[in-house]
Amino acid sequence: MTPLASMAGAVLSATPWRLERRLEVDAKRAALTRIGGAVGAMVVVGILLLLTGRNAFLIFWQALDAIFGRQRGVEGVALRAIPILMTALGVALSLRMKVWNIGSDGQFLMGALAAVGVGIHMDGPGWLVLILMAAAATLAGAAWILVPALARAYWDVNEIITTLLLNFVALQLVTWSALGFWRDKEAAVIQSTREVPFTLPGIPGADSVTIALLVPLAIAAVLWWVFRSTTIGYEIDIIGGNPRAAGFAGIAVRRRILVVMLFTGAIAGLGGMLQLSAPGAQAMNAGFSAQFGLSGFIVAALAGAAFWGVIGGGLFIASMFYAGIVLQTKGLSVYIIFAVYGVILTGIALGEIAARYRVARRDAADESGAAADEAVAARKGAGP
Amino acid sequence: MILAIIENAFLSLIGSAIPASAVVMLAATGAMLGERVGVLNLGQEGLIGIGAVYSVIAVLSWGVESPWLAMLIGMMAAAAAGLIFALCVVAFRASQVLVGLALALGGIGLSNQLGVNRNGTPIQTLFREVNPGGVLDDNDAVSAFFFHDPVVYIAYVGLPVVLWFVLFRTRHGMNMKAVGENPAAADAVGVSVTGWRIFYSVLGAALTGAGGAYMVLSFTPTWSPDIARGRGWVALAVVIFAGWRPGWAVAGALLYGSMISLDTTAQARGWGLPFMGASDLSFFLSMLPYVVTLVAILIPAGAVKLGRRVRSTAAPAALAIPYAREER
Repeated sequence: MTPLASMAGAVLSATPWRLERRLEVDAKRAALTRIGGAVGAMVVVGILLLLTGRNAFLIFWQALDAIFGRQRGVEGVALRAIPILMTALGVALSLRMKVWNIGSDGQFLMGALAAVGVGIHMDGPGWLVLILMAAAATLAGAAWILVPALARAYWDVNEIITTLLLNFVALQLVTWSALGFWRDKEAAVIQSTREVPFTLPGIPGADSVTIALLVPLAIAAVLWWVFRSTTIGYEIDIIGGNPRAAGFAGIAVRRRILVVMLFTGAIAGLGGMLQLSAPGAQAMNAGFSAQFGLSGFIVAALAGAAFWGVIGGGLFIASMFYAGIVLQTKGLSVYIIFAVYGVILTGIALGEIAARYRVARRDAADESGAAADEAVAARKGAGP
Repeated sequence: MILAIIENAFLSLIGSAIPASAVVMLAATGAMLGERVGVLNLGQEGLIGIGAVYSVIAVLSWGVESPWLAMLIGMMAAAAAGLIFALCVVAFRASQVLVGLALALGGIGLSNQLGVNRNGTPIQTLFREVNPGGVLDDNDAVSAFFFHDPVVYIAYVGLPVVLWFVLFRTRHGMNMKAVGENPAAADAVGVSVTGWRIFYSVLGAALTGAGGAYMVLSFTPTWSPDIARGRGWVALAVVIFAGWRPGWAVAGALLYGSMISLDTTAQARGWGLPFMGASDLSFFLSMLPYVVTLVAILIPAGAVKLGRRVRSTAAPAALAIPYAREER
């Protein structure tokens, strides 16, 4: 042990530089370093791919060109942005009180499943069924996080693992519905649930994007307003900063945690309904969520729980996602995208920490400080 | 007679649960090792994949003929990934949750990519069951309970005993716990918090990698995408259920494993219920391991809240909190 530690110490002290902690971290710099971390991570991946003989930079540029050069590409990004934005908004809301909701994929799936249930069993005017589908999806998303939320709020059970485990349960339930109880018996090739006969109205001038795109924008606006101008938003931020202090200030911390977590689930669940109500996506199978929950998590981490940042980050990740689909046609597998996500997330985490430090040159005062440290260490070593 | 049938059913259920959750046991021990010194590694799922795929590569592409050597290669690959993780979170103090999730994602993606041309190729280099004097009988529940490959004994008996002894009976273990509970105090008495945290998270990652290696070298035994299938997350849950005590991890792993073997047994025998057909029942049972694991996490916390205090089931106090000497 000791040799390893002293080796690490030696490497650091051998350089003429040292890290200095900033007294204050301003949000703008933190956002910039996070973005820098993400971009740096992508460059690292690009160089690695270059070493394996694939010019990822060129392919990626071509993919982006293919996206933004024509309407179909832009709409493709917008279509993928809707579910990613919804899960990201849910995660960002929970991050405001330092709660990690990693189960947004499951809440998203359960929302969509509830919407399918309503959509295939109800007759009536389309607008009414769609509203009921949205209500059912919202409730189902909230219900799916209820147990982790209660456990976190009242029993202090860490929410990371509990929310994540329910993703697997949701996926099994969706598989069951697609192959079992709601299976479309006419469709022979791809096994999925029956199709919901209703879709949301399209945006004028668009081929496939519906008014669903407006929902995450509206939710972001509402959340931004809540955290800027209301007592509840302020209290949630205080809980995020220091739950003990919030308790002393008379805030009902446990109830706030429960309610906020239910809302995060509800937003993700509604996202499932929005995804389902797009033309051509009206049935569910096990592949219904193309890891939208994870993408949303990365967006929220990148945005640092700032709601307008979520919109920007969501569009960025959705473009990446769509570019990834284009990349697959050029011989890169879907698995690469996950590996890239992992590297990007690491870059964001390192960028977040980088904002807190600055690199300063070691000066004479530090050297004497280090010498004093060593003297203390030597005395300790000699002691009983 | 009925008692014998029940006893037999129980033995064969646990008997098939043991190899089914040996992976969980190894990953849980690995995760526990890191968490005891205050490092939460959420990347277990990715580490299992990396350990598994490098064992597969060792066997299929490098011609390794010993399962032990193949496992060692898998462990080293996982340890390398664990070292990157540890440097990010311990040396650079990045968020353990973010980098851990990144490791989970990246590990799954990397291992799937590396395994893409090796899907379904059967592995011939396998661990063999320990079979003293040829008394093993394939159809006998007692044999199914007792006779497994050596890795299983290491995972369920060797590692927990060693870890228990080190943690609770040695000075070294005291220091480990101090680093996880109160790093400032450990630092003050001359224990290098950074060094211990990096060392034990790398060692833990290697153990989780051994779990992945065990999957492809004995349990499945072939490579398939997303090989961990949630076992890494279950392992993290088992650590919580166990209250960070090595012995209790055995109970947690077997609980998960018996749910898995209940599912596979029901599928193999086409079990059904009066109100549920065989296929519906199997869909239902395939959700059960995760549900039971979730409930298992709630048990210790619930027991504390409802007044039945369980001895020392709390997480290490400094878990997932980066240690910075200058902020002491």
